Amino acid sequence: MENLKSNVILDAKGLACPMPIVKTKKAMNTLEAGQVLEVQATDKGSKADMKAWAESSGHQYLGTIEEGEVLKHYLRKSSNDEAADKKHPNVINNEELEKKLAANENIVVIDVREAAEYAFNHIPSAISIPLGELEERINELNQQDEIFVVCRTGNRSDLAAQKLAEKGFTKVMNVVPGMSGWTGGTAGINK
Amino acid sequence: MNKKVAIIASNGGLFDAYKVFNIATAAAASDKETAIFFTFEGLNLIHKEAYKQLPMPEGKEHFAEGFAKANVPSIPELVEMAKELGVKFIGCQMTMDVMGLEKDDFIDGIEVGGAVTFLEFAKDADVTLTF
Repeated sequence: MENLKSNVILDAKGLACPMPIVKTKKAMNTLEAGQVLEVQATDKGSKADMKAWAESSGHQYLGTIEEGEVLKHYLRKSSNDEAADKKHPNVINNEELEKKLAANENIVVIDVREAAEYAFNHIPSAISIPLGELEERINELNQQDEIFVVCRTGNRSDLAAQKLAEKGFTKVMNVVPGMSGWTGGTAGINK
Repeated sequence: MNKKVAIIASNGGLFDAYKVFNIATAAAASDKETAIFFTFEGLNLIHKEAYKQLPMPEGKEHFAEGFAKANVPSIPELVEMAKELGVKFIGCQMTMDVMGLEKDDFIDGIEVGGAVTFLEFAKDADVTLTF
């Protein structure tokens, strides 16, 4: 069974409602913005509850993997993704990228969200390189390629695009807004 | 500003206690400002002794097994959790007078007030529940 990368794992197995939520709330306080929490629970109602809780408290519910009796919920702590100004000059919108993909153009799409975000929902041909790993994995990319960087709202991808430009990549596009508004085809676990 | 949840607890059985404290802890864990007004038999839910052994409804005693099996937290545990999450407990002064009870008869950390105390909190609540 897959083990998705998370920053903190919370064991809420065997607990009945509302304890999984109460424990999740407490655990979330220990995370930094943008980090991923994995909650392991056996309460069957926790799936709907996690989703609703994340929505009401502003965190991002990524998805749930069922492993026998155990439900593994993945949540990402809210961050200021939406707030910052975007600085990378070359921007493309979702629809244009979708067209390029449909036309089978020879392009590279990299998804710089956390691995757990990518796991549940991503553009089929996208490569996962979380923003935090970009620097050490930059050798996996080719400076001659046309690279499209995507994240959830266009913010982390903006930072990634700046980083790539800094390292001498010239054909880098930031995809805006990114997965939050993506209507094209996707792949992921549970699909 | 955070959303507000105002709850009135006016019954004193074990099931009533679960309804009240489950909703209250879930609300508080969802960052809602939560207060419970305990009145009439609802005062049992925060009475130092009574809250440890609240009665099951008559004829439903067999649920005890289910509670244990589902690993449902005890009422004192839920109360502790609710307090930790910042749920406000308001005991009804009038009922306490009628029943001859003092603030010391109740668990620590409660406030005592009248109907207006609760109404003041509940006037702009987003959710109001009665149990």
